[in-house]
Amino acid sequence: MKELSGLPVDSTCVIASLDGDQRFISRITSIGLTPGCRVNVIKNDGNRPMLIYSRDTMIALNRNECKGIMVKEVTA
Amino acid sequence: MSTATIALLGQPNSGKSTLFNALTGLRQHVGNWPGKTVEKKEGSFTHNGMEYRVADLPGSYSLSANSDEEVITRDYIASGDADVVCILADSSQLQRSLFMLADYAGIDVPCFLLLNMSDVAKDQGKTIDAKAIEERLGIPVIPFSATDTRSYDVFYEAMGRAINNKTRLNLNDLKKQYESIKGYQEICDLIPENALPGYSSMWAAVKVIEGDRVVSAKLKNAVGAETFAKIEEIKKNTQGAVATGGCKFAWIDDVLDKAVVSGEKKVTLSRLDRIYTSRVWGKPAVILTVLLGLIASFIPALPLMGVGSAVIAIKEPVMNALYSAGCPEVIVLVIGDVIIQSFSYIFKMLGFVFGVTLVFGLLEEAGVMARISYVFDNTMGKLGLQGKSVMPFLVSFGCTMGGAAGARVIDNWGQKVLTIALAWAVPCGAAWATIPMLASIFFGPGAVGVIVAILLTMLVHMWITAKVFGGKLVKVEDRYGMIMELPPYHKPKWGSLFRYVFGRTKETFVRVTKVILLVCGLFWLLSYSPSGNTSVLYRIGVAIEPVTRFFGMPWQLFLSYIASAVGKEGAIGVISALYNGGSLGTAFVDSMNGAARAANFNEMMLANVTKPEALAFIFAMTFNMPCVVALAATYQETHSAKWTARIVLYYTVMSLILAFIAYHIGLLIW
Ligand SMILES: Nc1nc2c(ncn2[C@@H]2O[C@H](COP(=O)(O)OP(=O)(O)OP(=O)(O)O)[C@@H](O)[C@H]2O)c(=O)[nH]1
Repeated sequence: MKELSGLPVDSTCVIASLDGDQRFISRITSIGLTPGCRVNVIKNDGNRPMLIYSRDTMIALNRNECKGIMVKEVTA
Repeated sequence: MSTATIALLGQPNSGKSTLFNALTGLRQHVGNWPGKTVEKKEGSFTHNGMEYRVADLPGSYSLSANSDEEVITRDYIASGDADVVCILADSSQLQRSLFMLADYAGIDVPCFLLLNMSDVAKDQGKTIDAKAIEERLGIPVIPFSATDTRSYDVFYEAMGRAINNKTRLNLNDLKKQYESIKGYQEICDLIPENALPGYSSMWAAVKVIEGDRVVSAKLKNAVGAETFAKIEEIKKNTQGAVATGGCKFAWIDDVLDKAVVSGEKKVTLSRLDRIYTSRVWGKPAVILTVLLGLIASFIPALPLMGVGSAVIAIKEPVMNALYSAGCPEVIVLVIGDVIIQSFSYIFKMLGFVFGVTLVFGLLEEAGVMARISYVFDNTMGKLGLQGKSVMPFLVSFGCTMGGAAGARVIDNWGQKVLTIALAWAVPCGAAWATIPMLASIFFGPGAVGVIVAILLTMLVHMWITAKVFGGKLVKVEDRYGMIMELPPYHKPKWGSLFRYVFGRTKETFVRVTKVILLVCGLFWLLSYSPSGNTSVLYRIGVAIEPVTRFFGMPWQLFLSYIASAVGKEGAIGVISALYNGGSLGTAFVDSMNGAARAANFNEMMLANVTKPEALAFIFAMTFNMPCVVALAATYQETHSAKWTARIVLYYTVMSLILAFIAYHIGLLIW
């Protein structure tokens, strides 16, 4: 298991667990990121928000916010 | 005529505003929810002889207690004020956007589901079997395209069915999902049906498991502390929102099973997005986009601005005609210098509001605004704002009114008001015309230093203002990093865009006319002097000169400072007139209409004003209230007289403080 923000661009992963306060969990699940869901990393550089693609949606995630997202990398 | 109320519910970008505007057209009204810093949009339409009221609920990703918006939304729905809730989902990302429906499930109000953007889904090669989904959900479900006004018959039909049959969501399968959560059933059993009016015990149990503070507090009241303690105990062993979120999506998967067929596709960033998201080019690209937008907005603005100038052209002839008809002077002046003059401002302003609303509405429609949000999220987040706020700031370098009008794209009311409050600190075009001119008279090449000082002061001012107002407008616990969808680019729909822009411009006209006539009338009255310099302002100015000198302003400069709050273009004319023994009111109006400044202006200034005083005046004028039109635009966008007044008061005080500081620094230097 790895942190989502540690993944390189173009990798694919599956969310393994979410960790954070209630508000974070609520916000992150309501945008569709729940354990088991597949995520593509589109952009991941510097201190700018990450861009990921999941459930047919491009999502921008602040770096601090994605610290609590642990993923399992899958090889396509 | 009988009436029914329908509420629109959907995640951001689901097409709610498009539907709302298409349904209500110009019959809409924007206000605030009572006592809340959340915007309330209402409208109405008639169909088949029946009158419908429409409430456009604030867009959010769920119905949790993460923000005031969400709590207001769910409480409004549960109150039963709406007869039916129309839930919008985005067909092109159906699975994700049905989360709202899943979160809604358990609120006991009839509803129906629009699978909006069905044209987009079709273009992506997706086919959606709405009938199958309808059977599983038990409510009307229709494929829909909010931008296609010809497709609205199906909407009215589904709405009618939902209202007449009071169609409610079939909850059995969702319940089964939740039952798989250990402890759910026990919690549910401890909550009597209707413990929270309007919400089922399933809904309440799920929210408790999710740790929803608002629901928990209400529930504690409803079931008593003892029972609630038991619930809390059981809750500890659940996995909270992760578990319930999983159930919601599992349910959605079942609902959509075999009803949605889509081709696999690989996602990549478009070329434009590669630029916007680039670490190096992102910010320059956004700034360039906004500046081009600002320039472009002058094109649609020109006709109305032309009308504004034409209105001024009729002023002389009208006044002359009135004089020769033997009209008393006061009446002629009121008609000329107040009414005609105000309408000239109003039309020029409307031109700009029209242009800015159109161009920035276009950027919003097209999805560019979301990229701007992304690029400036970090920077603006430090001020408690969204990335989009950078746009009004940049526009304000041209015109504060444009900045205030542009702040409309910020969907959170508190952040919008804060953005406008900060945008006032950005010196506008008229200030930039005055600052270098005055500075070079007094300081020669040192004028560059003054300009730099003004820019630095602006930044500090914005930072302080964010601290002063930020706490109230954007609560600290409501500030987080971005978790936001970056929607695909959309081709703008000109029809609905123009309808929206015309609607907004008309509404602006009605509101700002009042404000501008009022302020201009008041200013005229105070500066009216039938013979010599006998106006009220003059007398006040002279009387309090000992005080204003404290801020580095002799009465002439102070009156010009007051005039600059009405219009910065007028400041120089007023100074010039006052030192030449002319009248304040006339000089102001003339220079607002573009009169050239006196030939001996430079010598006269140097002879009468000291360097520290000049510096004080430059700061006071620059950071004063931008102008009456900006004031009107601020009132229009915030729809809060209270907040508008607060901002005015704050800027008046701040500008005097800055003048004071500048003056005393000046005294030390010279
Ligand atoms: N192609 C297509 N575009 C649509 C449709 N409905 C809405 N849009 C576009 O989708 C974008 C978002 O629509 P909005 O109406 O602003 O969405 P909203 O739900 O109000 O979003 P927020 O204002 O963020 O809450 C706009 O550019 C619309 O023109 C549709 O059925 N088909």
